[in-house]
Amino acid sequence: MTITCQTLDDLLFDATPLAMETAEVHARGCTACAERLAEWQEISDTARSMKHEWRNEMLWPRIERSLRVERPRRSPWLWQIAAAIAITVALGATMAYSLRSQNQDAAFDRRLLRVSSLDRVDAAEKEYVAAISQLEELAGSRLEDPEQPLMVSYREKLMLLDDAIAECEQLIRNNRQNAHIRRQLLAMYTEKQRTLENVLREETDVNR
Amino acid sequence: MLQASMSGILQTAAQVPPREEEDRRLAHGCAAGDSAVFEEIYRRFGDRMKSIAWNYLGNVSDAEDAVQETFIKIHRAAKTFTGEASFSTWAFRILVNTCFDLLRRRKRRISEAPIDESPVMLGSAAANVDDTKRITLRRLIDELPEQRRSVFTLFEIEGMTHAEIGEILGISEGNSKWILFATKKELQQKWKASS
Repeated sequence: MTITCQTLDDLLFDATPLAMETAEVHARGCTACAERLAEWQEISDTARSMKHEWRNEMLWPRIERSLRVERPRRSPWLWQIAAAIAITVALGATMAYSLRSQNQDAAFDRRLLRVSSLDRVDAAEKEYVAAISQLEELAGSRLEDPEQPLMVSYREKLMLLDDAIAECEQLIRNNRQNAHIRRQLLAMYTEKQRTLENVLREETDVNR
Repeated sequence: MLQASMSGILQTAAQVPPREEEDRRLAHGCAAGDSAVFEEIYRRFGDRMKSIAWNYLGNVSDAEDAVQETFIKIHRAAKTFTGEASFSTWAFRILVNTCFDLLRRRKRRISEAPIDESPVMLGSAAANVDDTKRITLRRLIDELPEQRRSVFTLFEIEGMTHAEIGEILGISEGNSKWILFATKKELQQKWKASS
């Protein structure tokens, strides 16, 4: 099995002791990867040193006092919130009713534009997913019963990515306009594509 | 007959895992405002809560405020604890949300807040890392989006597992692993540029 510089990302994603050991072995003969690995490790070491602890004997008595104060105030406080919500809803309904007729046309136009943009994003995504599925079919047989540790690692990575993709898709189904999740989903698709390409490349190298 | 009833009791006991029972006890105690239960929670999770809050808010005073507010929220919400996640995970989820609420409410990021350097750094790892690196990393973490920041902080700084982080943030274990990898890649690029 050949470990290349492109494989380093997969090993860092895997992050198991075996994967990190494999990465270190490769880094011994590769300056660029050695530098990347050192930085990766340095970030983790620095982060671990940022755990903080301090003693403050006054904090628990302070929390206890605030909890004691909280208890009797609870019910009037809830009533105040309920009253505030009722007033807000009433005001909101009145305002919404008066604004509704004015904004109806503009809102309709905007909604048309938004729906058409979202449809375009959906169509592009579907096309991308179809292309990845083709790649997946090609790589599928090679991942079914992997013998090499790297292939096992690829298969696990792809399973994790599929889980994460499914979760993002569910979130998008709940809110089609969530651009952050869409960007995250795109990054996952890209990573999946790259991993599948690596699987195919690895197999070609082995066959050579 | 005694044997039959004993085996029935044992079967019931086996069906209810001790953790769930313990979590229910804590939740009931909190809902009832039982001071001893709150103190027990503080003794068990207080240090970790303070450290997490410190890493979000950047100073002792704000971190302690966040922990205090978290306890009040636990008291208010204990009745809604369903037991799907463990009690500690549920409490940490409230803490993380409280920290983000405080950051948004006070419009004060770590870089703008007074940085308190007095807390004691833990372990030998702290002794081997200089302050410049810590300050650089803290600035970079502060620039991250909320979810990435949470996954990185909870995994790399607090040493939680992806399963725990998944439960706290309401994401899958795989997604947590993916987010950590993507975040470290992003941080690495910035880390390189800043050094």
